[in-house]
Amino acid sequence: MASTTSLAIFRTSWRPVLTGLILITLLEAAKRVHWLPVFIPAPSEVVWEIWKTPRLVTANLAPTAWKAAAGYGIAATVAIAAASIAVSLRALYGPIYNISVMINSVPIIATAPLLALWLGTGTQVQIAIAALASQFPMLVGTMQGLQAADQRQRELMHVLSASRSQTLRYLLIPSALPYLFAGLKIAAPSAVLGAITAEWAGADQGVGAMMLYALFSYDTPKVWLSVVLTCVLAGAGFGIWAAIERLAVYWRHDVELAD
Amino acid sequence: MSRDIQVEKVSMVFYGRGEPVIALEKVDMHVPAGQFASIIGPSGCGKSTLLRLVADIARPQAGTITLGGDTPRAARHAHSLGFVFQAPTLLPWRSVRQNIELPLDVVGRGSAKRSARSSAELIDLVGLSGFADALPHQLSGGMQQRVAIARALILTPDILLLDEPFGALDEITRQRMNLELLRIWSESGTSALLVTHSIAEAVFMSDRIYVMSARPGRITSIVDVPLERPRRLDMMRSSAFFDCVNRVRDGLFGHQPSEAVAGEPVEAY
Repeated sequence: MASTTSLAIFRTSWRPVLTGLILITLLEAAKRVHWLPVFIPAPSEVVWEIWKTPRLVTANLAPTAWKAAAGYGIAATVAIAAASIAVSLRALYGPIYNISVMINSVPIIATAPLLALWLGTGTQVQIAIAALASQFPMLVGTMQGLQAADQRQRELMHVLSASRSQTLRYLLIPSALPYLFAGLKIAAPSAVLGAITAEWAGADQGVGAMMLYALFSYDTPKVWLSVVLTCVLAGAGFGIWAAIERLAVYWRHDVELAD
Repeated sequence: MSRDIQVEKVSMVFYGRGEPVIALEKVDMHVPAGQFASIIGPSGCGKSTLLRLVADIARPQAGTITLGGDTPRAARHAHSLGFVFQAPTLLPWRSVRQNIELPLDVVGRGSAKRSARSSAELIDLVGLSGFADALPHQLSGGMQQRVAIARALILTPDILLLDEPFGALDEITRQRMNLELLRIWSESGTSALLVTHSIAEAVFMSDRIYVMSARPGRITSIVDVPLERPRRLDMMRSSAFFDCVNRVRDGLFGHQPSEAVAGEPVEAY
């Protein structure tokens, strides 16, 4: 079983992995023959940064990761609850949706320093900003998902004279899962970006802080290292949910059998 | 137990953007307990609407419907209705067995309303042995519809309502499904009401056929089928069968030559 799983992972991922390796090699070669400007470091220089000071990675990655995760968790809880209320109480559907859209359209890069000014530069502010930055896709996903069951399926539950809670349990929640997972996946990178933007406004640790220090000291390899770390965090958040989705929404991935 | 279906002066009007559409106008119908009846008519004649009224999915604006003396609502709450939709309407995350057992989950496994047959027996009955753990998308359309029929039967309903259940199937599968459905129905002893587009299907399956016309939807004629039971495929060659087919066709098209009838075609065979 384990070997078939790893085989499946290899089969789906060798192409993107190979593409990445080729691109990195080309970048390295281009840098070596001086085709690239100074502000683009060779991949080896970025790796060298990690090699030189591994603490740079560990000390900054962990704070950002947990702040993003905490904000994401709060956002998920509130967004899923709010979306459930919106779907069951029609009068609140519009207001809840509009508030979520409004929060989502506020430019975080401008509000993060303001919030930091008003509330201080503590971690709570960074967690709050990560939450604000990631709530929208989860709210929309839950809203859409809870309305995804088709009319006939609802009529089936009606003819079976199922109660509201039974309809929710047997029909509405399972049919919401694909949409909910789509929202959870899209929101994960947003939470990471939110946390990093918040760190710019005054944090002494974290990928965002590291990025800012490196920018101000024109340390391009370190800037690129922080970019890579951001991508790793965002990708990990996305990937974890994609993996859980494959297990939870099992009925969408199997191949077709003929009669 | 079985219930009769009594429909008295039922009317239904839909108010849309344009003219109000009279879906049903003073429809009377009686299906004795344990009998098999069909409703046939062109699209838009209100035959599916009538079935949905019997199933308490909608309420009539005028007239009354009683099922074994109860209102459709009471019959529905007593879990006495089995309904098969045009599309299989399975829950894609549930296996064949779990889909068939959905009504048991709703009623509660320990409840008094028990099924006469286990889901395993029903799976055999509809010819899906070996597919109990398959997911719906792994099955063909015909197999999915058989799951839907098994699901409608698991609580041994007093009344089985079928809304063009085989409309999407090819002719060969359809004939086989008709035979299976008749076999299952005769064993269960429930009353059955079938909505169909096919004259041959209606005659082959039914004790009585209600022929409807559209705009306004009303019953234009009633054809009793004298063929004995159990029905066999070779009966479709008998003169009694053709006689019924012709009477249904006359009810649908009148006695005019039928090659140039406006509206949606009705399948002869």
